[in-house]
Amino acid sequence: MAAKDSPLKQFEIDTISNIEIGNYNLSFTNSSFAMLLTVLIITLFLTLTVNTRSIIPTRMQLISELMYNFIAQLLNDTVGDNGKKYFPFVFSLFMFVLIGNMVGMIPYQFTFTSHIIVTFALAAVVFIGVTILGFINHGIKFFSLFVIPGVPFYMHPLLIPIEVISYLSRPISLSVRLFANMLAGHTLLKVFAGFVVSMPFFTGVFPLAFIVALTGLEILIAFLQAYVFAILTCLYINDAYHLH
Amino acid sequence: MMNYKNKDLEELNKKIKNIDDQKNNSNRKKKESGAGFGFKISTEIIAALVVGVGIGLIVDNYFNTKPFGLIIFFIFGALAGFLNVYRVMRRIEKQR
Repeated sequence: MAAKDSPLKQFEIDTISNIEIGNYNLSFTNSSFAMLLTVLIITLFLTLTVNTRSIIPTRMQLISELMYNFIAQLLNDTVGDNGKKYFPFVFSLFMFVLIGNMVGMIPYQFTFTSHIIVTFALAAVVFIGVTILGFINHGIKFFSLFVIPGVPFYMHPLLIPIEVISYLSRPISLSVRLFANMLAGHTLLKVFAGFVVSMPFFTGVFPLAFIVALTGLEILIAFLQAYVFAILTCLYINDAYHLH
Repeated sequence: MMNYKNKDLEELNKKIKNIDDQKNNSNRKKKESGAGFGFKISTEIIAALVVGVGIGLIVDNYFNTKPFGLIIFFIFGALAGFLNVYRVMRRIEKQR
């Protein structure tokens, strides 16, 4: 039911220029355009605002420095000194998700974080990276992550599969949380936008007022989900260093 | 003279402490909405169940044990989901 006025129409992928290499469809779509726009905004914003390098920062420079400090503080609190190496990774991940969500808040603009394959790819990068990191740090002892200390030995056959499944579910819960929040929020916005036109007389004003409030909430959620993504990445990196 | 100065400093100290306390209190009061909390919990359970069912189906495919792998790993998945919820709750409790 993808009618013209469906609230789910906003999630459709439109091909802008068709590119096919071998059997793979590598077309440039509106999703790729949104990602490109996001990366452009991040790069331009961060380079232009700190270009002045003044001791007393201007407002824009202050925003960049706040973002930098926010993630640096987060890494320091959760991982400690070991975390400094991973700052570029966590920061780019945070900025990509945050600005991606914000770009999605622009009317008529596509939200690429509302597609599970995008968020799952991000989460999979985190998951595989953290697993490799754990093996580099602990070698084969990394498997002791799945063994809970102080448990009688006959409980292990039961507990180890549970721990393994719990570990494997991390990328899924990480990606589903971001994707479902964005999907639900944007669908809700469009559904209420439909009420504005379909309600009789002047009563359409009420859903309109509600949309204004909801847009504010959506911006909050956009930030919150980027923050959650970053903090969970930090926690997983911490797990790769400190087993248990 | 010294006493007077100390008094001033103490007052200033008190003021700073008050402001700090207020800051901490306002930070602590910042609670998540109920929907956000429910979302967090439900995604944890669903993710573990998805992984459990996935492993169960793969095991059944490889070893031809049709319903049993799915049944066993579904239960493992459910248990892992509860374990995840327990961990999330413990983390939230710690932050309070």
